[in-house]
Amino acid sequence: MTLVNSLKREARFVLRHRAFVTWILVVLGAASFAVWSGIAEVEQQRESIAFLSESDRTDRTEQFTSQSDWGAAAYYSFHLTHDAPSNFAFAALGQRDTSSWKHRIRMLALEGQIYEHDPGNPELALVGRFDFAFFVAFVLPLILIFILHDMQASERSAGRFNLLVASVADDRSLWRHRALVRSAGVLIAAIIPLTFGGIVSGTSAFTLATAAAWVIAYGIFWTIVCSWVASRDRNAQTILASLVGIWILLSTIIPAGSRVLIEHLVPIPEGADILMTQREAVNDAWDLPVSATMTPFYARHPEWTGYEYTGDGFEWGWYYAFQQVGDQTAESLSDDYREGRVERDRLAGLFALAAPPALLERQLQNLAATDMQSVLAYENRVRLFHSELRNFYYPGLFGNQPFDPARVEDLPEFIP
Amino acid sequence: MTAVLSIAAAEWRYWRRSRLALVVVALFVLTLAFVSVLTNMRVAADAEARAHHQEESEETFLSQPDRHPHRMVHYGHYVFRTPTPLATFDPGLDSVTGQAMFLEGHRQNSATFSSSVSSADLGGLSWLTPAVIYQVFAPLLIVILGYGAIVREREARTLAPLLAQGTSAGALISGKLLALFSFALLLVVPLAVTALRSTSDGESASVAASLVALYLLYLCVWIGLTVLVSTVLQKRTTVLATLAACWLTVTLALPAIAVNATSRAEPLAGKIETELTMLNEVRDLGDGHDVDDSVYDALQASLLEEEGVERVEDLDVNIRGVLAGRSEAELTETLNEYAERRMQAESRQARVLNRIGWLTPTLALGAASRAIVGTDLEHYHRFLRQAEALRIEFVQGLNRVHAEELSYTADINRNRDEASSRRARVDASNWEVLETFEYEPAPASERLARASSSLQMLIAWLIALAASLSWAGMRLKP
Repeated sequence: MTLVNSLKREARFVLRHRAFVTWILVVLGAASFAVWSGIAEVEQQRESIAFLSESDRTDRTEQFTSQSDWGAAAYYSFHLTHDAPSNFAFAALGQRDTSSWKHRIRMLALEGQIYEHDPGNPELALVGRFDFAFFVAFVLPLILIFILHDMQASERSAGRFNLLVASVADDRSLWRHRALVRSAGVLIAAIIPLTFGGIVSGTSAFTLATAAAWVIAYGIFWTIVCSWVASRDRNAQTILASLVGIWILLSTIIPAGSRVLIEHLVPIPEGADILMTQREAVNDAWDLPVSATMTPFYARHPEWTGYEYTGDGFEWGWYYAFQQVGDQTAESLSDDYREGRVERDRLAGLFALAAPPALLERQLQNLAATDMQSVLAYENRVRLFHSELRNFYYPGLFGNQPFDPARVEDLPEFIP
Repeated sequence: MTAVLSIAAAEWRYWRRSRLALVVVALFVLTLAFVSVLTNMRVAADAEARAHHQEESEETFLSQPDRHPHRMVHYGHYVFRTPTPLATFDPGLDSVTGQAMFLEGHRQNSATFSSSVSSADLGGLSWLTPAVIYQVFAPLLIVILGYGAIVREREARTLAPLLAQGTSAGALISGKLLALFSFALLLVVPLAVTALRSTSDGESASVAASLVALYLLYLCVWIGLTVLVSTVLQKRTTVLATLAACWLTVTLALPAIAVNATSRAEPLAGKIETELTMLNEVRDLGDGHDVDDSVYDALQASLLEEEGVERVEDLDVNIRGVLAGRSEAELTETLNEYAERRMQAESRQARVLNRIGWLTPTLALGAASRAIVGTDLEHYHRFLRQAEALRIEFVQGLNRVHAEELSYTADINRNRDEASSRRARVDASNWEVLETFEYEPAPASERLARASSSLQMLIAWLIALAASLSWAGMRLKP
């Protein structure tokens, strides 16, 4: 029997198999829902960005132009920064769920603002997201397990096993083809909704093809595992239990263990410590001699040494200088925090090699630009923008440039 | 009755012989033990860090030197939430919401730094907690163990002789149910131990017992469903496919769909969005730092009139402190209005979500479990309210000190020179206005009452399943 004939025969068998057809429909339905809800979420995020950008601009113009000095203008002008979802984000929302992708920042110390996060309703966040990446990484293997585990055991218990094996030249290739046809059906049912979603969202063909390749490779991995365990001479229920055991090991135990190990290996400063350090520096400055603020400030900005604190109460220049010094004080902690996250993410990438579900999720998040690196890249863009703000205001605050409300036109724009 | 018992015993023998029960129990116990250890470690580490920080933060505040009182308003204070004893079993919202909050004058901060932000990302299931193991994995194991219960006898053609020998269909089904129920009892043992231990950490016995009963009830729903499908459908593969699809839908898909539907039906404005309007409203209230702000003219005039003096310098109190207190009170009123509105919107969403519990027992159980343990949305709000109460108390305490202990003249001259700045300070003993923060969860009765609607859903499920089972029993044919 040729390969094609054998595959055809299996396909015919399988399509008459009611349980299998049900499974294909379940996969199709679940994948479609995952893709649809991903697209809806991305849509909502885009709308929210568009709405906020508009009202943010109006609010800023109004605030800035109604002030009469640089200090107050800087104090009351907020700037929206955001990280727009990529056109593949619908498939893997990843870090966008736990980390901020929008901030409204101003000229005050940045360390006090950049960790602000709006988790939405925590009750809803807890349930978690059923996005395509989650579906493929965790649910799809289970479905493959349900479909493939009794390939041989069911024939055995029906008493057809020996007959079936005797009817073909190579019985091993029989099981291989049977597994291949079944899992191919499942994988195709999963990839069709993804492709549709990609077309609707304008995902590049290359990204889509890479994602599909990952999904297929992942499906093949699980097909091999299932076929291997299914070939044991045990009853179907025991095979099923063992396969589910492997699934729990790879999807839960190894990832959770690795996470704890990584956190132990790479300690990072607690977020609260960064905030506290920065806050204390800013709050203490009110009572310290002005020079305690201005000396470190001039060390960073020698170009403004010409600025003279007049020594009479509150002065905006001094105020913003100690905001900056607050950031400077927390700088090393903040650097450690960032580097720690980079290192943790690198190790997570390594450990994920031992846990295919985590590996697949990470790959899809990487394609969708929703991984830790994208979060850090966005954070860097916010930092850069904040320093542009400082560059804009400092000539006014420290260099006696006269305030002009029309300068609202020259305010730096955040480029996403 | 003996027939029921012997059928249950026979089922156990089958599990033992095929080593099925062994594999399943080993799997469950190992996963549960592993996840319990990890969750315990995390919660314990969090609790220690919190206790340590709480103490440190309070000490730092109290040990501040003599200062201008308003500096201390800005200096602020950190509060941390301590978990309830059973949070090691079900950390609930604790893992999503921040654990710490910075309290200061003039603003309400949000809780910051949940642990999920900085940890290594290894996929959606690396965050499992013991509670989720019971909610999601235990049903799967019951399905694996029980899907063959009746259909196996049918396929092996042992069903006909069994029924012919006088075993009633009811006894057969009851026997299988009993076998699975005894297995569920076994699964609940680790939870019972955890619950028992929590009572020695100060958890009430009624809470601990209800939690165990609740999870047992939930597992019974799954047992009923498993045996029902195994009775009604004719082929083993279809039984498994149906049950597995039910499991996927009920534990994973429906809760996610419910969240999606809820956020559409009851949309919640984002934080930045709300702050845009709030900040505008707050700006109109006037700035309590600025005595000359025209908003305060009336207050100033009435104070002067009350004491019958001409100039603010002659008042008994420091007008700057009075204004600071007044503006803080007004500001807090506005902030609380927004905070209340936000919390109510969140609770509304939670209620809509919980109503979908009628469709999926997993959602109902999750809500009840968090309510009983004390890690649900209401408890999170409770923390926010308690923290706010502490904030306004110490800020207004400091403003009173500002008004009564510091003379107006010394206050306005504070920036003249070093000596004047010293005169504009008050004694550090005044910092005692800060009370010790101890987060207090709701009393047991309140928590149990909140779980009651979810309990009704589970019971309704159980009744429906029992009715269907007795119907299926009557129609059972080989």
